[in-house]
Amino acid sequence: MGEGAQTKSTLVLHDLPALQAADLLPGDSASFAVFSALPAVHYCMGCFGCWLRTPGTCVLKDRGSEFAGLFSRHENFYVVSRLVFGGLSPDVKAVLDRSIGILLPFFRTTHKEMHHGLRYDKRPDFHYLFYGDATEQEVATARKLVRANMINFEPENYSVDFYGSPQEAVGALP
Amino acid sequence: MKITIINGSPKARGSASELIIKAFQSKLGPNAECTVCHAALWAGPKVVETATMSDAIVLVFPLYVDSIPSHLLRLLDTQGGALSAAAPGAKVYAVVNNGFYEGRQNAVALEILRNFCARYGLTWGQGLGVGAGGVITAVPMDSWPLRPLDKALDDFADAVAKGAIGEDVFITSNLPRFVYQLSAHSEWRKLAKKHGLTTKQLYQRPAK
Ligand SMILES: Cc1cc2nc3c(=O)[nH]c(=O)nc-3n(C[C@H](O)[C@H](O)[C@H](O)COP(=O)(O)O)c2cc1C
Repeated sequence: MGEGAQTKSTLVLHDLPALQAADLLPGDSASFAVFSALPAVHYCMGCFGCWLRTPGTCVLKDRGSEFAGLFSRHENFYVVSRLVFGGLSPDVKAVLDRSIGILLPFFRTTHKEMHHGLRYDKRPDFHYLFYGDATEQEVATARKLVRANMINFEPENYSVDFYGSPQEAVGALP
Repeated sequence: MKITIINGSPKARGSASELIIKAFQSKLGPNAECTVCHAALWAGPKVVETATMSDAIVLVFPLYVDSIPSHLLRLLDTQGGALSAAAPGAKVYAVVNNGFYEGRQNAVALEILRNFCARYGLTWGQGLGVGAGGVITAVPMDSWPLRPLDKALDDFADAVAKGAIGEDVFITSNLPRFVYQLSAHSEWRKLAKKHGLTTKQLYQRPAK
């Protein structure tokens, strides 16, 4: 990491159980925000309210609606997730499904494919830290998933890494 | 033959997945004994019980953030072992539909399902990725824009009934992509207006 890495503000989304998180993660501060995917937020109901009723914010009434608002306020976004079948864990996925308000409903073309426009000009760099046992195939799938996600969310930079345990994954946080 | 269909759209009714399921069922022969479970409305153990001794498990769901909607993913994550014990001989099939034009964007979600099968010793059958999902709820299944889907579901139902294993198939609508895009945009504007919002307000930035 280059100079000034300390001052870059960081947002972490993770699925570690509360006790483990308290043990491993620093507390919230001005430049370090932690969002726990546990207890699980309600799943997205597919209503598109975050595009057409309250643009940019999910309409469901639980803390899952707060995550999209944190996004553009940070320069680095870390996803710490158990690797599940080569993808994100259901808990982390529930938070991301609830956050598509960071995109616009309107389509654009990029990479010769149809995708959504971006609501915010300021977007954090993405870092995926997957943990848990993984087959070679699952690692390959996760890399493809991240590549696809990055076309949709279009950060300037991104990275993806795999760790044996949540401790090791969290150890890679700034 | 016993077929368990899992609807993985979170919408209780009116989803593209539901219409795909109806069309798929209508194409199966009289020997197919089908039950449709709704992943968002049914408890996991009830889905497993329903799927007991199935010959085929067919997942039909929308693409969410390049992957599987979280509630369906949770079902697979928590019930995978039980499902595989209850229906050890089942082949797993999937139809994924997405909002963007290209059906190929469903490829990663299908790969995740193959990994699920590998984890739990289930046999993967075949996947179908359907682009331009917005068309499915807009026009009848037997109309020209959806002809590729109608035809793909013929083959898909045939494969499921035979227990065949095949390569993934990706399709989209007969509508040209610019027509799909224009009609989707005009639909967003119409819905915004219905909710008392101007088009400009759809671009608002609550987070700043
Ligand atoms: C949370 C969420 C995430 C989505 N992510 C994608 C995506 O990554 N790619 C895509 O093409 N469509 C995406 N869509 C669009 C849906 O796949 C599309 O609207 C689909 O037709 C819905 O099917 P259903 O009616 O069966 O639920 C997403 C929709 C929602 C609500």
